[in-house]
Amino acid sequence: MTISARQAGLVGCLRCGRVHLPDVALCTRCGAALSSRDPNGLQRVWAWWLAGLLVYIPANLYPMLLTRTLTQRTESTIIGGAVELFQHGDAGIALIVFVASVVIPVGKFIAIAFLAMSLEKRHLMTEHAQHRLFAVVEFIGRWSMIDVFVVAILASLVRFDAVATINPGIAAVSFALSVAFTMQAAQSFDPRTIWDD
Amino acid sequence: MTERETGLTTPTDDIPPMMQVRPAAVRWWQRLSIVWLIPIAALVVSLGVAWQSYAGRGELVEISFQNGAGLVAGQTVLKYRDVNVGLVETVGFAAGLTEVVAGVRVTNDVAPFLDANAQFWIVRPEVSVRGITGLDTVLSGAFIAGQWDPEPGQAVSRFTGLEAAPLNAQPGDRGTRVTLQLRDGNQISAGAPILHKGIEVGNVGNPRLSDDGNLVLIEAYINQPYDRVLTTATRFWDASGFDLTLGAGGVTLDVKSLASLIEGGISFDTLESGGSPVTETTVFDVYADEATARDSVFSLQNDEPLALSAVFDGSVSGLASGSDVRFRGLTVGRVTDLGAFVEGEARDRRVRLLVNMELRTGKLGLGEEATAEDALALLGEFVSQNGLRARLATASILTGGLLVELVEEPDAAPATIDLASQPYPRLPVTAPAITDVRATSQGVLERINALPVEELMQSAISVLNSVDALASNPDLQRVPGEAAGLLADTRALVTSDDVAAIPGEVRGITEDMRAVLAKLEQGQAVENLVAAIAKANTALDGVATASADFPVITGQIRDLGEKANALEIEALAAATTRLVDTANGLIGSDDAKRLPPALTAALTQVAGFLAELREGGAIANANGAISAAEAAANSISEAARTLPALSDRLTGLVAQAEGTLSGYGAESRFNTELVKTLRELQVAADSVSSLARTIQRNPSSLLLGR
Repeated sequence: MTISARQAGLVGCLRCGRVHLPDVALCTRCGAALSSRDPNGLQRVWAWWLAGLLVYIPANLYPMLLTRTLTQRTESTIIGGAVELFQHGDAGIALIVFVASVVIPVGKFIAIAFLAMSLEKRHLMTEHAQHRLFAVVEFIGRWSMIDVFVVAILASLVRFDAVATINPGIAAVSFALSVAFTMQAAQSFDPRTIWDD
Repeated sequence: MTERETGLTTPTDDIPPMMQVRPAAVRWWQRLSIVWLIPIAALVVSLGVAWQSYAGRGELVEISFQNGAGLVAGQTVLKYRDVNVGLVETVGFAAGLTEVVAGVRVTNDVAPFLDANAQFWIVRPEVSVRGITGLDTVLSGAFIAGQWDPEPGQAVSRFTGLEAAPLNAQPGDRGTRVTLQLRDGNQISAGAPILHKGIEVGNVGNPRLSDDGNLVLIEAYINQPYDRVLTTATRFWDASGFDLTLGAGGVTLDVKSLASLIEGGISFDTLESGGSPVTETTVFDVYADEATARDSVFSLQNDEPLALSAVFDGSVSGLASGSDVRFRGLTVGRVTDLGAFVEGEARDRRVRLLVNMELRTGKLGLGEEATAEDALALLGEFVSQNGLRARLATASILTGGLLVELVEEPDAAPATIDLASQPYPRLPVTAPAITDVRATSQGVLERINALPVEELMQSAISVLNSVDALASNPDLQRVPGEAAGLLADTRALVTSDDVAAIPGEVRGITEDMRAVLAKLEQGQAVENLVAAIAKANTALDGVATASADFPVITGQIRDLGEKANALEIEALAAATTRLVDTANGLIGSDDAKRLPPALTAALTQVAGFLAELREGGAIANANGAISAAEAAANSISEAARTLPALSDRLTGLVAQAEGTLSGYGAESRFNTELVKTLRELQVAADSVSSLARTIQRNPSSLLLGR
């Protein structure tokens, strides 16, 4: 039988893990603010999640890359770029792009929403599964930025004036925001609540 | 439960005490996190962006083209003044696949200007001799260019695109558009430059055929500042290719520009003042070259063509449609076409060549109001009164091209214009004036070849050698001195008093005779007269005898003089010695010295007789006297008859002298040389005179061969 810190009448520091008495306001070890449960935590998760979802729509509709070469000028969206890569035969890269830009963000949205809902409907998942899912979401969140990195690097490297120029499109900004928002949503999630009854 | 309440003090129980949590007694909106602002802001921004992109996406217009080459949906742009103002969103087909329809999203700021007069065309890269146009489209792909006026108008959403860029492709160009008409369009291609004083001031559109198919019409656009020189008096001419002028100054090659060399070009200039402003409907002729265009200034714009024909015998090779028709050197028209027709019946059938031509009435100086009938009447007058005829003449001796020349031949057989001839009134013709330069030059060369140049040179050299040798001969140098002596002697003889007295005596006798005859008329005796005449006869016999020698001398002198005049140096030199001797002998002979006194005595005797007769005066003697006078006259005439014999003798003498002289000179080196020289000189002279005669006979033959 395990008990939570809350059940033990204690409050654990989320940053360094030290357990304090409830009346301690700041962690004596790392100085982080202590709170047993964030009362608005779930609310903030949903808020960030929604914001992330909202900006994820233009990130897919608007062009991610503006490629201007001598002969042509192309605008490619995320999915369009992946499809194009696939058509060129770069299936591997297309898969990476697709996974990093579509599968992971969408999976994150689903995972966060699922976690948030499962707090209210306990029968959906076991606590351990929930916690593992949360760990995966938090871990994988930063890798979602791979697309933005690619765009940023390309845009800064490929600047040959008339010959070839790559500029980030509005989708790059949206996508970066979306990733940031979902990470924030994941951060807002208080994993301790998984264990609350 | 106390342990629970004490918290951590007794953590030994299995179940730790539950934390006291007070439910928050707050309203739900108080529990709302501030984080919700983030999705709201995101939503607002997204909606804003969506709205903006929706509102700013512009109007969709449809432009149809015959050919959609280069149109790519989502990529091809619409440009106005080289600025993107739209993007092709769709490329499809019109109903029935007749046209390509491009759906173009036009930005809102230009959409209001797209009214009915907006023009669209596709700009593709184009490589021509004038350069590469649309080079940017090589890299960016074709684009649609648009042009419209800056006045907002009734919006139209369907347009028909142009197949080629309009002439005034720069929006805002306010140049002038005119129509040019040419007879032959193969020198000009679309976009060819229009030059004014060598500066490109415009260009031409696509050549097209006129409705009747006879002319090529080209729209020409002349840019703004230069169109001010355009009037109805402006002349356009073809500046295509190059001018190769062969003139006294040598060969001149004039190439206007590489572009006009290949692509053609049209120049214009306003060569005279007084034209009226041009309009869009003004049509200009394009002349073949600048000279023709300048010539045409003197013709009136509205002169009426007068169609005529002429039938020529022989070949008209070299005459072509478009050849000039000239009158006194002025081009008054041109040949419109050539043809042949069969004339006559049965055996007399023959093929004749019909030349149709067109005369510009304005060129004939009839004024602006003249009609073709007036011109025909004028020509008819010329034909009947001045002998106006048509003939073929050489237009260019190099090309052998011909032209039709209207010449006036007053001596020509009377003729009239055949008004009944079909298809046009027919001009009478005359013999052609064709110079075949090839034959002529051949003839000239042959003639030059045939000249005895080498013989002539040989002869001339020989002559000079001989003359040189002769001049240095001492014999010749001696001749003048002796000749001078001869002349002095001759002069002495002639001027001697005795000789001078003779005429006076003769005059006296004549006077006496006249007196005797006067007496005879008065009826004096014939017998006396007969006797007197008989005496006179005797006297005259004496005179004749005396004078027999005299003619010998005078004849010899005259002969010698003539001989000296006509004498070749040959004879002169040879005869000199002999002449001197003979003359000396004659002059020094007793006969010669005796002659004048004898003559004087005879005349005195006659005078005495006459005086006696005058005093005697018997009529009875008249008859005898008359017969005696007759006999005397006979004697005189007898004596006179002997004169030719004398002359023959003299000639014989001279011939003998010549024979002697030639015998004397036969061995002389001088003589031989002289004869040889003279013969050669004669040969040379013959050659020269033969050549001179040939040239003199027809001076132009050497050059013209006819």
